[in-house]
Amino acid sequence: MMPDMTQVGQAEAKEWAPNHTAPVVMFNQVSKTYGRINALSGVSLGISGGVTGILGTNGAGKSTLFKLMMGKLKPSSGDVKLFGTDPWKNSAPYSRVGFVSEGEKLYDWMTALDFIVTFARLHGMTRDEARTEAERVLEFLSLSDVMHKKIGQFSKGMRQRVKIAHALVNDPELIILDEPLQGCDPLARTTIMNVIKELGRLGRTVLVSSHILHEIERITEQIVILHHGRVLALGNSHAIREMIDQHPHKISLDCEQPREIAKYIMDIDAVTGMSFINPTRLMIETKNLGDVHKELPQVILRSGQRVTGIDNPDDDLQSILQYLTGGFV
Amino acid sequence: MSNRMDSIWSKLDRKATAIAEFTMRQYRTRISTWAVMGAGVMAVLLMLLFYIDAMGNDIEPIDNDGDSYDSDGDGYPDGQERKYGTNPDNPDSFPAGVSPDDPSVWIDEDDFNWGNLNGKNMSVGFDDDGDCVQKDTTSQRDTNDNGIECDVYLEWNVLTQSYDILSDGGVDEDPDDNTYVKEAGHRAFVLGIGKFGIVYLLGIFLPLFLATGLIREEMSDGTLHYMLAKPIARGEVLLYRMVGYLGIVWPYIFGLCAFLALVTGLIGPSDGFFRWEDLGVWLSIAWAAMLVSFVYGMIFCSFGILWKNGVVLAIIFATWELGMAFVALLSGGDSPIKFFSVIGWGLTLVDAGVALSWPDNWTLIEMGLWGGGNGEYYSWSGSWDYKALPGAEPLAVFSGESGLNMANWASFVTATMVLVVQGITAWFIGQTLFKGKEVD
Repeated sequence: MMPDMTQVGQAEAKEWAPNHTAPVVMFNQVSKTYGRINALSGVSLGISGGVTGILGTNGAGKSTLFKLMMGKLKPSSGDVKLFGTDPWKNSAPYSRVGFVSEGEKLYDWMTALDFIVTFARLHGMTRDEARTEAERVLEFLSLSDVMHKKIGQFSKGMRQRVKIAHALVNDPELIILDEPLQGCDPLARTTIMNVIKELGRLGRTVLVSSHILHEIERITEQIVILHHGRVLALGNSHAIREMIDQHPHKISLDCEQPREIAKYIMDIDAVTGMSFINPTRLMIETKNLGDVHKELPQVILRSGQRVTGIDNPDDDLQSILQYLTGGFV
Repeated sequence: MSNRMDSIWSKLDRKATAIAEFTMRQYRTRISTWAVMGAGVMAVLLMLLFYIDAMGNDIEPIDNDGDSYDSDGDGYPDGQERKYGTNPDNPDSFPAGVSPDDPSVWIDEDDFNWGNLNGKNMSVGFDDDGDCVQKDTTSQRDTNDNGIECDVYLEWNVLTQSYDILSDGGVDEDPDDNTYVKEAGHRAFVLGIGKFGIVYLLGIFLPLFLATGLIREEMSDGTLHYMLAKPIARGEVLLYRMVGYLGIVWPYIFGLCAFLALVTGLIGPSDGFFRWEDLGVWLSIAWAAMLVSFVYGMIFCSFGILWKNGVVLAIIFATWELGMAFVALLSGGDSPIKFFSVIGWGLTLVDAGVALSWPDNWTLIEMGLWGGGNGEYYSWSGSWDYKALPGAEPLAVFSGESGLNMANWASFVTATMVLVVQGITAWFIGQTLFKGKEVD
């Protein structure tokens, strides 16, 4: 029983063993209340493998969901399990987890390398191992050239990547990212999205939260929509869209003479109504978005009008939520 | 099994060093750390200036028995005339053939001859100047009536827990004030700055500023999850953060004490070039302050975990401790109430260390409070008291008994163990609070 004073070479194997038959993340009827406010109510989820987008507006319960996974909060009722172990009671599963929080605060006085190495050692790595692993993840996140600079000098996108590097240093099986794209410039956004997709390809379980639908759709098809602390929809984004397509939907057309084109559009069966928003814009209402989009090109050709823009103005999270909740958002 | 233990132990050790190192580096980057430590050094240096000044000035020696005075104006001091049997009040009577002494010879000419006090009732003292032994009758030479001529009789008073001092007139009545003041003043300074300045003030202010936010600041900054999102128990995080805190605070306390020991050891009154006998006292002070800062650190850090304004609880607690520090100091260490505190045990530890390093400390205090038996008055405590020599009263205030009724080394070990147990208990409570704490 001698302390490891040298801290060089390779560390011993990990002693905690995950339950391979259990899903990586398991929520069973989990509720979390703060006084009279329900942050989560009766959430049940089982996620293993691939990238999953957690979508929801502010206050939907995304961060609460992640904090429960990270053992920062205790569920008011229900069970939370990571690899079959309750994270509130046992921190051992975190040897296989990487967490990127929403908060932007970092230790600005440390260099990126220092920061990653220091916290890698909390996984039980020796100094040698920690350094090797830290250099590996910094390379993976294209931060190698700035790793000796103080974090305080970094741009927002770089800081975000440092946080991700910190989460990946232990080569985790489960990676949780809370709003990782918020406030990043387009270049950082692309880098981070690519990293997330790459992790998914490597067979890791990745959870990414966002309140922007398009962002998530660029990363993954597997989504969970949270609303007012409940799981509103869960599954493939196409399937969710199809479900939504059965609901009233709007398409806007921009052209010089909307009234002329309107005559032809009335012929499409799926169209249930039309309105003129302004002299150059026509709003079409339908219950079957797919059918309308199928026939629309032919109809436009027949009308001989020059259409300058087609848009689905309500094709964002807010509108989806409106459809899913029957207008009660 | 042994391999498994090896693996767990060395892994703990890796995590421990990582967090402790990180914590120490974090302290070094904070201005507040330097401000608090700088203020401590400034305060100590200021006190040291007063000390150096006091040690550099001699006080005017006092002729307690008045025998340097030449009553009859014949050129011979009264003391010299008494020594040779001539009449100090008659100008025609003087020791012929002997040159007159300088009057200064008859100031401070009858110093203490007490040795070390080691019993309840004792006979001590020696009549250096002969003004007792030359008295005419036995009853004049034995005014304290203890059957021994020309001595000082120390009688233990159970009520006041100190000696009633009864001397035969003219014995040890004119002590060397300057030597006494230097020695007592030096010790009073060491104990005053040690017990109150270092053990209490540093012991409580360092943790107040440095340990209260050890976990709390990470919580409010939102950076705690960098540590908690790792496979490490919260109790361990608390423990290793505390190790990092001690890694900064302990060398600081030890360094400050070593510096004070060096300066006062070289400047203080001594036969050699250095006061080696003080080292044990300084070590006790440093050790007590280190243990006390550990216990307070754990308590204050737990207050921080419990409540975001934990510093308020820490200040209330510090006030209680201040009261206990005064109880321990003013009661001479005797009040058992002091044991319901951290500081009480810290001061007990120092008192035990003092008793081991300066076995003559009580003798020095008793001698000084008696001061040669001059200026007798009937005190409020119902005994005859005398005009104390300068330095004796401060030394009496800052000295104390361990109050444990056991051997000094046993008191030292007991106080150490109690403080360690207090620290471990505080850690246990702190980690229990931390485990149940939701971190937003």
